Formats: sequence, C-alpha cells, structure tokens
Amino acid sequence: MRDWLGPLAFGFILAAATAWGAIGAIPYGLMKIASDRLGQGGVNAMSYGNLANPARQPVVRPSPDLAYSSCPYDLSAGPLAIDVTPVPGRYSSLSVFDAATDVIFVRNDVEAGGKPFRIILAREGQAVPAGAEVVRTSHDRGIALIRLLLKDPKEIGGLDAVRRQSSCATVTKLK
Amino acid sequence: MKSWHRYAIALVGGLTVGLGAAWALTGGGLSNGAIANGPWTTSLGFGTKATDPVTRAVVARAGLLALPAKETVYWSATTDAAGAPLDGNCRYRLSGKLLDARWWSVTIYDAKGYLVANPADIWSVNGANVALDAKGEWRVTIAPDKPADGAWLPGTKGQPFHLTLRMYNPGTAFRADPAKAVLPQIVKEGC
Repeated sequence: MRDWLGPLAFGFILAAATAWGAIGAIPYGLMKIASDRLGQGGVNAMSYGNLANPARQPVVRPSPDLAYSSCPYDLSAGPLAIDVTPVPGRYSSLSVFDAATDVIFVRNDVEAGGKPFRIILAREGQAVPAGAEVVRTSHDRGIALIRLLLKDPKEIGGLDAVRRQSSCATVTKLK
Repeated sequence: MKSWHRYAIALVGGLTVGLGAAWALTGGGLSNGAIANGPWTTSLGFGTKATDPVTRAVVARAGLLALPAKETVYWSATTDAAGAPLDGNCRYRLSGKLLDARWWSVTIYDAKGYLVANPADIWSVNGANVALDAKGEWRVTIAPDKPADGAWLPGTKGQPFHLTLRMYNPGTAFRADPAKAVLPQIVKEGC
C-alpha cells in the first residue's frame, strides 16, 4: 500500500490541475467551435445565417424566431469596423462577445434610434480612425452577432436584403 | 508491479477524473442561485462579465452568446406547474397574458437544448402570432398530435422536452421583481 502513496498523491494533484485547466479552457473552446460553425463566410466577414431548424443548429438553444448574422473576428491584423443597419419597427441588436465569452458591447435598434451605426472594435493600443465610436477589448478573437426578430419565418424573404446591408471588415484606412 | 506502472495508472486516472470533474462541475446549467417563478427559472448572469472561471464555463455551456438581462431574459422550464418533468407523450396547456416585454417567444427543445424535427416545422410561439381571447389570454397546446383547434407546439413522443421563454427588452416593472412576474402557465391535461 505504501507503494501507492506517491502515485495517489500525484494522481490527486494531476486531477485537480486538469479540472482547473479544463474549466478555464471550456469557454475558449466553445467560442472557437461556435466561430467555426457560424463563420461560413470566413473571419472578419459577416455571414447571414439561415434560420435555425433541426438540421441547422450552430449553437445550443438557437431561436427559430431570429435571423442571426454573425461576424467571427480576429483583430490581430487590425481593428474591425462593424456596420449595422436596423430594420424599421423590428427588434434587432448587435452584441459583441470576446474569446472568453464575455459580452463587451450591446446595442439594439431602439438605442440606435432606428438608424444605421458603425463601431470600431480594437485592441488596447491599436490605432483607430479619428472620430469613430470605439469599443476596446483585451482579446483578439470573438464573435459579433446581429439578431433580427421575425414574426414569422416566412418574413425572411422580404427582410433579407435589409439585413445584408449590415457588414464587418478589417479597418484598412485610418482616415 | 513496477513503480512506473503505478504512476502511469495514476496519470491516466488523474487526467480522467480531472476532465470528468470539470465537465460535471460546469454542466448544471444556471440553476444555482437562479430566480424561480413557478416552473420557470432564470439567471440574470447571462451575458455579463463572469466573476469566476466556473460560472463563465457554466454560462458558456448553457447559453453561449446569450444576451444580458437588460436586453433579454431567458426563462427555462423542465417541469409543469405540478412539478412533473415535461413529457413529449403528454398534452399540456401553455397559456398566459401578454408579457411585460417588447417581444417574447416560447421555444420547445429536447433535453439537451436542441430543436427536434416535427411534421409541422413549428418550434415556437411568440407574442406576434398567438391569438388573444376576450379576456386577453392566449393559449397553446403542446402535444405530439395536432389539436382539433387552436395553436399547436408539437411535442415528440418518447422524449422529454424543455421550454425556453425569451423576453426581449423586458419592462422595468418586470425587471424590478422577476420572481413575482406573471409568466405563462404549463398545465398537464393528459397523457
């Protein structure tokens, strides 16, 4: 039995360290999976997802009433400009999540006064265009998500053109 | 048995227990410290900066990309009004008045939180598509078979189900005391 004291102590310490490390890694891992599934159009580009149904469920508990547009981003090459065009009279919102899953920005259509708006998402220290509304983050990666509520799934045909006016792209010009 | 054999066993055991513990500790959903209202529970912790790694991992698993409570409150029900688990074989009356929010919807999921195929392609009801009666109440039947009249949310035979109630831009009165808000009733009518 004495032969096992060392291995058992090692096993306990390893189990605790593994659990701690895994718990810390879960949010990052799930965000990575969500970015890959949502980002059909690649990184730093807006993907205009089809409505959720049993065959298409990129995240857990998707809402079948929402048209999700998503922009998985990576700020390592520079800040990201996100342009949002609300649909008149409809709930819509932009939310920005960082790689740790924390929400770092939310604005809905009412808060935007029903008007289009642009935000610049940037790491601390990154140069940004003068006069822009800037949201700073401590992570390179994350997901910007636009939700648009539908009264009926059939409405997507008529609203798709408007939602495609929202976009995201790496900032290349600072003026 | 040689010493390194014992350490090898401890290595495999430690990794397995550690990963299992991490998964178990973060899989409970947000029931701890949650707000309960009849069969509905919610946590106002979604979409906020998590204060500790365990809470952050729990939120990531239960509601990745969920909005903060000011924007949307997510209620979850896994039982009916009597406390019995929601059963896809049974017929339920889901009813209520208009909710204190700019928009609301109730969506049916399997126990893991995913949509299940049904012949009607219906997975939710919302404030814009429910009909109100003379008393200002709406009513939906949750059952595997289409009811003779009224709105239908299809259940799946042989499977338990969960409901998620989303309230977008909930009113200030609601947010002041979510536990006392009037939420939809879930009453079992038969199996």
